[in-house]
Amino acid sequence: KDWDDDEIEEVQQVDDTDDLDPETERAAWKLRELKRVKREREAIEIAEKEREEIERRRHLSKEERD
Amino acid sequence: MSHQADAKRLFDSRGYAGATIHNQNPVHLLEKPVRDRIIESYYWKEQCFAINEATLCDRAAAISFIGGTYGQQKPTPFLCLAMKLLQLMPERDIVLEYLRQEEFKYLSALAAFYIRLTFEAKEVYGILEPLLGDWRKLRRRTRDGGYALTYIDQFVDDLLTKDRVCGTSLRKLPQRTVLEDLGVLDVRESALGEELEALDDDDDEVMEMEV
Amino acid sequence: RQHLVAIGQTGEVKRATLEEVRERLNWLAQKRREESQGVGDVVDLGKRLEVRKE
Repeated sequence: KDWDDDEIEEVQQVDDTDDLDPETERAAWKLRELKRVKREREAIEIAEKEREEIERRRHLSKEERD
Repeated sequence: MSHQADAKRLFDSRGYAGATIHNQNPVHLLEKPVRDRIIESYYWKEQCFAINEATLCDRAAAISFIGGTYGQQKPTPFLCLAMKLLQLMPERDIVLEYLRQEEFKYLSALAAFYIRLTFEAKEVYGILEPLLGDWRKLRRRTRDGGYALTYIDQFVDDLLTKDRVCGTSLRKLPQRTVLEDLGVLDVRESALGEELEALDDDDDEVMEMEV
Repeated sequence: RQHLVAIGQTGEVKRATLEEVRERLNWLAQKRREESQGVGDVVDLGKRLEVRKE
């Protein structure tokens, strides 16, 4: 059934058992989640700045035309 | 309803008359060299032959790592099962059952990958984002054949933000902010909930935690 | 055997319903729990033997 018998020992070098240390596991997740939230907020900021810039340029070219 | 156990028909790019996803033969969502490797693999021939949506669960329950290809471009069982799903195209409720059952995390990961490949952008975000709050561990086979540790939330984040995951070029997903501007999506609510307010007070917390 | 003939000769596999998928998952989950219980018993036995030695 196991297609790679020789590799089973190697697999066990990385332990994927959950809840060995729930507090630490949650804390590590919290850090990952905070980074994601931060990244999302930065993306929103960048999008807003871009929009402002486009708005500013539109304004400029309008004045230039006049 | 039934499908061909013999996959030849499915892999013949001419004259394919089956159901399509994103206007193409669903297995073509995987790249050609990868598909070829999968079809050549023992795992595909022995473990993926003549299984359906129910017996596929046996295989998914037995896998112990995610990943794309490794070594001499050997496909992981995870990727073989992904191709099987693309071949089976299970009905929506079954895919969601795979995703949301809580006993077999590698089956959830497999469903997440399949959803990213086949569902519409709005649903990809809507269905997968709740899993950003799931910190269960996943073993990942790296391209050099070693193993690394990742997590469901990390894997889902990769699916939502990266171009390539598990040896597969993902179809372009519109940025979240674009869909928000169009009113298709609401701003994501983090599973951290109230704990986030602490971040608002002190934006340096992330930096501190990293130190 | 009949199963093999059925799938081998017609080349078709019967699709499963959501109910069948759920049943399968429940069965697999139960099987897994029983197996881990089995391992637990062995550990317990080992522990008991150790306790006896002391």
